[in-house]
Amino acid sequence: MPILKPPAVVEFQSVSKVYRLGFLGRRIHALRDVTLAVPRGSVFGVVGPNRAGKTTLVKALLSICRPTSGTILRLGWLAQNRSTLDRVGYLHESQAFPGYLTAAALLQYYGALSFIPAGELARRIPQRLEQVGLADRAREPIATFSKGMVQRLALAQALLNDPELLVLDEPTEGMDLVARKLLHDVVRHHKAEGKTTILVSHSLSDVEQLCDRVAVLRGGRLAFSGALGELIAGATADDSATALQDALEPMYAGAST
Amino acid sequence: MTLSKFVTTTAWLVRDTFRQSLASGLCWLLLGLSTICILVCCSAGASGRGSIILPGEHNGNFLPRFDREAHDAQKLKQSGTIVADGTLSLAFGAIRVPLARDAREAVHFVQLVLSAGVADTLGLLLTLVWTAGFLPGFLDRRAIAVLLAKPIPRGALLMGKYIGVLAFVLVQASYFVVGTWLALALRTGIWDASYLLSVPLLLLHFAIFFSVSLLLAVCTRSTVVSVFGSIAFWGICWAINYGRHSVMAAAAMAPEGSFSPGLVRLANLGYWLFPKPVDLGRFVFDSLGAESNFRPLFQNLPSVSMGLSIFTSLLFTGYVLFAASRHFRRVEY
Repeated sequence: MPILKPPAVVEFQSVSKVYRLGFLGRRIHALRDVTLAVPRGSVFGVVGPNRAGKTTLVKALLSICRPTSGTILRLGWLAQNRSTLDRVGYLHESQAFPGYLTAAALLQYYGALSFIPAGELARRIPQRLEQVGLADRAREPIATFSKGMVQRLALAQALLNDPELLVLDEPTEGMDLVARKLLHDVVRHHKAEGKTTILVSHSLSDVEQLCDRVAVLRGGRLAFSGALGELIAGATADDSATALQDALEPMYAGAST
Repeated sequence: MTLSKFVTTTAWLVRDTFRQSLASGLCWLLLGLSTICILVCCSAGASGRGSIILPGEHNGNFLPRFDREAHDAQKLKQSGTIVADGTLSLAFGAIRVPLARDAREAVHFVQLVLSAGVADTLGLLLTLVWTAGFLPGFLDRRAIAVLLAKPIPRGALLMGKYIGVLAFVLVQASYFVVGTWLALALRTGIWDASYLLSVPLLLLHFAIFFSVSLLLAVCTRSTVVSVFGSIAFWGICWAINYGRHSVMAAAAMAPEGSFSPGLVRLANLGYWLFPKPVDLGRFVFDSLGAESNFRPLFQNLPSVSMGLSIFTSLLFTGYVLFAASRHFRRVEY
């Protein structure tokens, strides 16, 4: 039985994560007592300076790392339940796809490992490649792709299982203007279908244009979580992108490395 | 995870391993080396009286060419004993080796060199070196993250990759053994299938030591550590295995009470705990009746139970795979 309240797709309850590094087990607090909820159908931005804990938050959500303490609920179930991952799409912050695969073969490989039925997969692969503008490159090896093309392919991979929850970690990295617009279209389309997106990004303009709710992390702590409008409400700038920057500046101050 | 999902996962990881081996050239390299061996076997031939003594026809009146009694011509003539006088040729007759025994033994000798020397030692070490890079690449932080976000238990991912590499080695070993066997059989007319037993034994041998490579890859994600660690471990196990048999042989021959029982116990402990590469090689020797070709190697060595030796080696492998899987489940990415 799912144990999450219906409106929330993801919930972090007092989640902390401590990494132990080196021979002496030096403790690095990546997340400290983070509590937040991601409402269904929202585009939820996660921002913060470098080493704020954004990627750790995503990895903990996807069971790539385990929280040291606290509880994470994903699609109504405890995150330890891996079966819910078949309804999640994930775009990793940096790609290392096997260069020997073609774009179509890569999607077939990851689609099969998401247990998408073969017939359905054969139907979806050309659709997704079309969606990210790589239909004419389907039979080309990934080794010949540019960084932006690899990123678009990663987006196609994340969308392949038609996910209820789409997690994008720095998705615009290496993307040109056209690809960025394409990403925006994908996210808006996903939201229009009533599905949820978590967007981790350093690009404030992307966050401003796409997100309706934002969490700001700083030094592993949650500095803010709420509607984007609330965050920029106190800012003095005229346009909202600058207003977001104005709002975040005090939170970033002294934290970036 | 259901069985069908595990099978799907494994099948795709096997497929990916073959693609990886094709892309890296390793597949073609190994097939090329095997093809060279097959071509060498295609150029082999056996002629003379030795070659006409086929399995089942061997009689007590046959004498190896180099047997001391074979020089007593008068005595041989009286008894009607046949002395091997054929030749084993290689490179389509360019290299001619006098047959020491009958043609069957000569073919067995070639098969032993191919199985124990080329495949089980050189091939095993090269394959361990070349396939060791598959795992750290697979476990790369960036590459594995996307797979870890799939609804597959980590243990199934790791075992799928392990099985993938084993499947690759099985194909390579089968091509090598069946190819050389067919070539030799077609050229010499000796269709002794015992050589084919080398395929499962080669696979077993590789599976044992690749499990160590897997554990090292999971713990360190370093190709260098995986390669040198697994090869060093193979060497240690070989020494423990051969050392134990030597100790047991020496203890059996020593006067009663003159041999340290502590040393025997220690040798036995190491022998039963660790994999047994010498025993695995010996089973190939036994299946081909190699004692006649390599008598000094086996003189005084105690007999070993094939079943028990394989079982304990597999037990060790199972434990290593369990440890690798357990560590992989806990490791942070």
